[in-house]
Amino acid sequence: MAGAIYIADDADAVRSVALDGLVALFHLPSGMTHIVAPPAPQILEALQQGPADARTLLARIAAIYELEEGSAEAIAARLDELETAGLVRRA
Amino acid sequence: MGETMSEQSSKDGGSLANPTRRTVLALGAAAASTVVTIRPALAQTAGSVMNCEIPVPGPQHSGQYIAADGSLVAPGTPGSFAPPSRPITGEEAKTLLRGGFTPNGMDSQSAQAYANYIRRLQSGMSGFTCYASLQLPR
Repeated sequence: MAGAIYIADDADAVRSVALDGLVALFHLPSGMTHIVAPPAPQILEALQQGPADARTLLARIAAIYELEEGSAEAIAARLDELETAGLVRRA
Repeated sequence: MGETMSEQSSKDGGSLANPTRRTVLALGAAAASTVVTIRPALAQTAGSVMNCEIPVPGPQHSGQYIAADGSLVAPGTPGSFAPPSRPITGEEAKTLLRGGFTPNGMDSQSAQAYANYIRRLQSGMSGFTCYASLQLPR
């Protein structure tokens, strides 16, 4: 599961507004609005560095944040949600 | 969802670009959900989603070929693909975009180009409403 490579749309395809801990995202290509909680915004931001699988994303995020429980499985679960929402897709 | 939010210590959700300090980020349990999607007024039912069609390309670009990245190019451009002989249905587009399954009667390379075309659809383009409705969570 950690092997799948994910990509996100360019940052200019998404308008985001911070809402005191949550982030509202308007995805221009689909016209959909999403409310996301951490770590989803961090995953999307880490994907802006380029396509990556769950393990690579975990490493990118761990370089910035102190992770309480750093499992690639948790990242993969978040990626599944983001894929269902149309915010990321498999490369 | 509340569980994953409460442990985030950064007020603005943090930023990879300008971290002021190493904030604690909880990745959440596998079962916790961190995404809520607000459904737009279009595409009220799953039935209408699956029955809609996406012309590739739209009628205003009829005859143009589709490059591998989904852009429209002149017919015969090397590396591009002729448009499909029929519109792609919502159901086909959904499986194509998710898992790369190729609709009947299309080869996989062409289908990937069509998938990229569909991903590039913008509001106002033919098939956009169908594409947007495919993004709705089940």
